[in-house]
Amino acid sequence: MSNAAFFQHTLDNGLRIVVEEMPHSQSVAAGFLVRTGARDEVEDLAGVSHFVEHMCFKGTPKRDWQAITREFDEMGSTYNAYTSKERTVYFGWVRHEDLERQVDLIADMMRSAMPTEEFDMEKNVILEEIAMSDDSLEREVFDQLHQQLFAGHPLAWPILGTTDSIKRLTRDQLHGYFQERYHPANMVLVVAGGVKGSDVMRVAEKLCGDWPAFAPRPERQKPKIDFNGTHTKKLERFSRQALGLIFDAPGAAHDQRETADVMATLLGGPNSLFYWNIIQAGVAPYVAAGRLDYCDMGMMLAFGFCEPDNAQKMHDAMRAEIDNLYRDGIKDEDVLRVCNKARTSLAGEAESPYHRLMQMFGDIDVLGQPRTVEQRLSALEAVTPDTVREYLDQWPLNKNMAVISVGPTEFAPA
Amino acid sequence: MPINDTYSSHRLACGAHFAALQLPGRHTVSFQIRVMAGLADEPADKLGIAGIVEQTLRKGTQNKSARELADAFDTIGVQTGGGVGRQSTVYRCTCLPEYLDEALALHAEMLGQPSFPDVFCKVGVELTLQELTALEDDPQELTSKLIAPHAFGAQLGRHELGERQTVSSITRDDLLAYWQQHYHRQKLQITVAGDVDVKQFASLADQHFAQLGVDGERSVADFDVAFNPGVRHREKDQEQEHIVICWPGVAPSDPAYTTEKLLLTILGGGMSSRLFTEVREKQGLVYWVGAWSEHPRGAGMMFVGASTTPARCDQTARTLLREVDRLAEDIAEDELQRAKVSVLAKMQTHGEITRGRLNELSGDLFHLGHPIEVEEKQRRINAVTVEDIRQYLAAHPRDRLCVQTLGPRALEEFQA
Repeated sequence: MSNAAFFQHTLDNGLRIVVEEMPHSQSVAAGFLVRTGARDEVEDLAGVSHFVEHMCFKGTPKRDWQAITREFDEMGSTYNAYTSKERTVYFGWVRHEDLERQVDLIADMMRSAMPTEEFDMEKNVILEEIAMSDDSLEREVFDQLHQQLFAGHPLAWPILGTTDSIKRLTRDQLHGYFQERYHPANMVLVVAGGVKGSDVMRVAEKLCGDWPAFAPRPERQKPKIDFNGTHTKKLERFSRQALGLIFDAPGAAHDQRETADVMATLLGGPNSLFYWNIIQAGVAPYVAAGRLDYCDMGMMLAFGFCEPDNAQKMHDAMRAEIDNLYRDGIKDEDVLRVCNKARTSLAGEAESPYHRLMQMFGDIDVLGQPRTVEQRLSALEAVTPDTVREYLDQWPLNKNMAVISVGPTEFAPA
Repeated sequence: MPINDTYSSHRLACGAHFAALQLPGRHTVSFQIRVMAGLADEPADKLGIAGIVEQTLRKGTQNKSARELADAFDTIGVQTGGGVGRQSTVYRCTCLPEYLDEALALHAEMLGQPSFPDVFCKVGVELTLQELTALEDDPQELTSKLIAPHAFGAQLGRHELGERQTVSSITRDDLLAYWQQHYHRQKLQITVAGDVDVKQFASLADQHFAQLGVDGERSVADFDVAFNPGVRHREKDQEQEHIVICWPGVAPSDPAYTTEKLLLTILGGGMSSRLFTEVREKQGLVYWVGAWSEHPRGAGMMFVGASTTPARCDQTARTLLREVDRLAEDIAEDELQRAKVSVLAKMQTHGEITRGRLNELSGDLFHLGHPIEVEEKQRRINAVTVEDIRQYLAAHPRDRLCVQTLGPRALEEFQA
């Protein structure tokens, strides 16, 4: 699939460039997608992708760490980076006249020196980040889910790594991983905003044209998941009980993903079965449904956070609403409401180079191609009550499921 | 900035304050309806009521059930939201331009003819009690709640979830009485931004809200900040210690406000800011560190905060304050220049989002009573000098502090 709405080109060394021209815009958002994340690590190096992300801000052959952050702030850039299970992303949002300066800076970071003298100090920062995330019940549930369901597979280990793996990590291991993964064929320069594709091309050729090419990232192994069993973790320091029901679902590139998402919105979004029959019945203040997806598999989650005493009630209520969905199905007007809300949010996305960039990173990574807001809306509008019914038969929510329970009690549903 | 932006503001015949920002060519329109009553206006024995009213208003009108109202909003695809502040309650809406009239009419119906179904009043109370439990799992928000009564005083420093005892006592009659007392057309501020026919929108708003709150309280109450310095700790079993420190700053209406804003950028805006550089990059004490301000009407409060493992909390707190003090010693021209560009550039980039422009407009109307044009804001930023910053720091020393920690241990020998 190619997409004529975007300006696309690949340099001789393999670096791909994707641009969405937004002629009405006075700003531009630009960044690098690096196709490596926590699932591309070996267990001994758990957390290395995220550590590399931090270290890219710490110095290059041309700039020390202070020169990097100062230059971002001199442009008034809205900038950051993130690491997920499958990708690492660096970006900045600036006035359109600062395009070249912004790309120059981030491209330079992609040639990081991984300075030894900054390594130990940054280790402290990451250990603090791990401590901070340990105070989050939401993060505990996310990590617990992966540890249990993907045991033995790289998707099991936490994105931040563990206190032990980070303490053990050496600067040379970090540098080795960085060199292996941060090369043109494994990266995409993505730009959205008030610029011309040809200008971005010129800038990219100048700044990145001499990057040497290396071997591609090692192939990913598809995980085998057992959607059965109950996994509990007792953590007395939290006040709420978290409970997740986990079902098999389409992966990130699957053509049923929009059907899955419309179904999840009607089951557990705002103005949904869960909202009216669980939250507004006073059972729990937060209950939702949604898809968690990776390039080769997906999961549908029904989950909530409640008073520990209400856990069984919340579990039963989620199961009952899933049964209601099977019994009553959905109607044309339900789909229409979801699409109309999406239309407003997509119109908002089309105003903002920053939000377009974030969406393009995801689409390019998992679908191989960016999509316009119109294309995304069309995909949603193709969902019908019939496709939802087919989905529910094909990816059942009333047969096999795994259960995750984290909180002050060892609650397991009866 | 595009020069076609047109600001206007006036009082509608119904009594509501109105301000608009016309942004030709935008694909969305955003509006806000602000009721000038918030946490400070709650009866002392009914804390939490403002938030429950905001939630329960969405649960049906004289003509629509709760679900019918939600479906009506979703059918035209509008994004709605809201929240309770210290002195006001805001209802937000973003929609496609073709649905603007309908979205406004639905908001008027929701605010003006609520039915407060008994069942949803009870659920509102129950869910607020459960949210209070959830708050215990959110160290950052919990620290904010703990420091606020000392920073702002007992009345302005309330939290929107109230207290267990007061929330439990709230009934449907209380909600109805609060709504009748405070949801008055004279206490409304209505703002709109986007590709909108301003005259037509103002006229519709005027018609829709003409009947709101005829028997209620017309005047907007004023509250003073009551700052109560001190070092306070709440012990809690968690991995990190959360530290928040605050001291009085200036109001958005103060001529020194722009200077303060640039000072905050130097202190905590971006990774090259002083706090980030010293506390995180040089000393490796934290992952999160920040500086921010909060503004009740006519007042301002400066904050710095960080979270760190308990063994490092004393050093972190000392370093935070050392960086605040260092501002008065060595602000340089290039540092100020960087802060200016940073603020100006973000006004341009973030200004592309219609909702963001509306938030600015609504904030100006709330704090100043009228909109300030972008060009004027840019002029004020460009005019600030290093000398202005020195004068600001001399006039507003951090000589009285509120310090709040939450975590396994209190700070040692810390002088506020």
